[in-house]
Amino acid sequence: MATKLIPRIPGPRLGRKEIYLPNFTLQLIRTPNLPPTYATFIVPLNLNKLDIRDYLWNVYGVPVLSVRSYIQQQKIRQDKPGAKRPSPRRWYRPRSIKKMTIEMEQPFAWPEAPESFEEWDKDTFDAANKDREEQEKQFRPDSRKEPTKERKSIAEQAKALLEGKQKWVPNKIVEDEWEDVGEEVEVETDVDVSKVEKS
Amino acid sequence: MSTPAALRPAARWCLQPSRMYSVPPTFLLPSLAANQQSSSFSSTSKSLYPRDNNRERGVSTQRRTGLRQPVSVSNNPLPQPILDPKKRSKVQVDETHGLWDFFHSKDKPMNTPEEDFAHGRPWSAEELRAKSWEDLHALWYMCCKERNRIVTEGGERARLGAGYGDHEANRRDMTVRRTQRAIKQVLTERYYSWRDAEEVAKDDPEISFDGDGPIYIPQAFEEDSVEGTSSKEELATAKRAQKKVQKEPIADDFYESEAVHAKGRKDV
Repeated sequence: MATKLIPRIPGPRLGRKEIYLPNFTLQLIRTPNLPPTYATFIVPLNLNKLDIRDYLWNVYGVPVLSVRSYIQQQKIRQDKPGAKRPSPRRWYRPRSIKKMTIEMEQPFAWPEAPESFEEWDKDTFDAANKDREEQEKQFRPDSRKEPTKERKSIAEQAKALLEGKQKWVPNKIVEDEWEDVGEEVEVETDVDVSKVEKS
Repeated sequence: MSTPAALRPAARWCLQPSRMYSVPPTFLLPSLAANQQSSSFSSTSKSLYPRDNNRERGVSTQRRTGLRQPVSVSNNPLPQPILDPKKRSKVQVDETHGLWDFFHSKDKPMNTPEEDFAHGRPWSAEELRAKSWEDLHALWYMCCKERNRIVTEGGERARLGAGYGDHEANRRDMTVRRTQRAIKQVLTERYYSWRDAEEVAKDDPEISFDGDGPIYIPQAFEEDSVEGTSSKEELATAKRAQKKVQKEPIADDFYESEAVHAKGRKDV
């Protein structure tokens, strides 16, 4: 039996686990402090280093030289995210984030960030966010204790006065504030009002 | 009393009778003044210092002493780091780099909401039923890459605080996921129809599952009718079975890939 010459496929050594319909997402994240031959991904927690090597070669044609992985535990917090009124002492820890950094042969750099975010309507977005935050502040349990805006402004004015930055100006007396109508005149003189005696 | 309060204890200490005797007499004052040692305490000569044969003595990275001898690169100035990232040289990225597929365009790191919104409807199961396994598989991987793009650009949008676009990206993602759902539906339908066909084939005289020889052995119906060996009813059932088998678009290679696919899915 003649041996058939198998053409060598360039690329890394691959595993033999056959996954036909992978159903997960990889998120490439920006890493400006790493050399350009490194790329970092946020991956699902059940993905291992061999999986990402095979996946990147089979789907993207990127040969991977080395992989390092890192699971980032998330901070504990009260109640689940998105709870309308987070109940206290119902402890919740968000799911950990797994990150993998691969080393490649070819360097890769992200596209430049756009100069202006007009197409994303950033101004409206920020204004809406600010407004929403202020609205949410009113419903926090300690919102009553915080000084109001007026109080803050009065305190600033008082401080400026005490430091001598401003000078106290009393309200201007308006000349025509009171209309002089002359002496008081008794009207209805013909009506007889009997004096009430104190008992 | 006229003496200040702070001086009183000191004066009392000086006037104590026991202290009067501890003060050295005045004629000893010159000897007390000449307190410096004129000769070295150690009898070892100074030329032997340092005493060990450690060549690195006195060389410290913590104190930044530097080396004792100049080296070949001592005259070369140290390279200065470029702290401003705009002044650094640009990385030459290959146009065919695989990681470009994590972005919709090479000009900007994320799509505008208008671009994200410009998409059609998902593939329906009805349209996908006519497609081969290779087509469906390719379409699945297109969907995977598109979802990776959407999630990468969403992360970048959040990082930059760019603004709106989440809603459009979510709609796009949902469209892709509906396509994937249709692919799975079609494959599941094929699997069940293949199982049904297997049941039918067990009763079919034209198909043998012996393992040796061809699976499908067509019979010549015309000869049968000429000979008149089979009754009308048997002929009709045989024809029906043949029709049913022909209806299924499952080829042998598809059957194999389906089995492997089922194995692969178990791994996922």
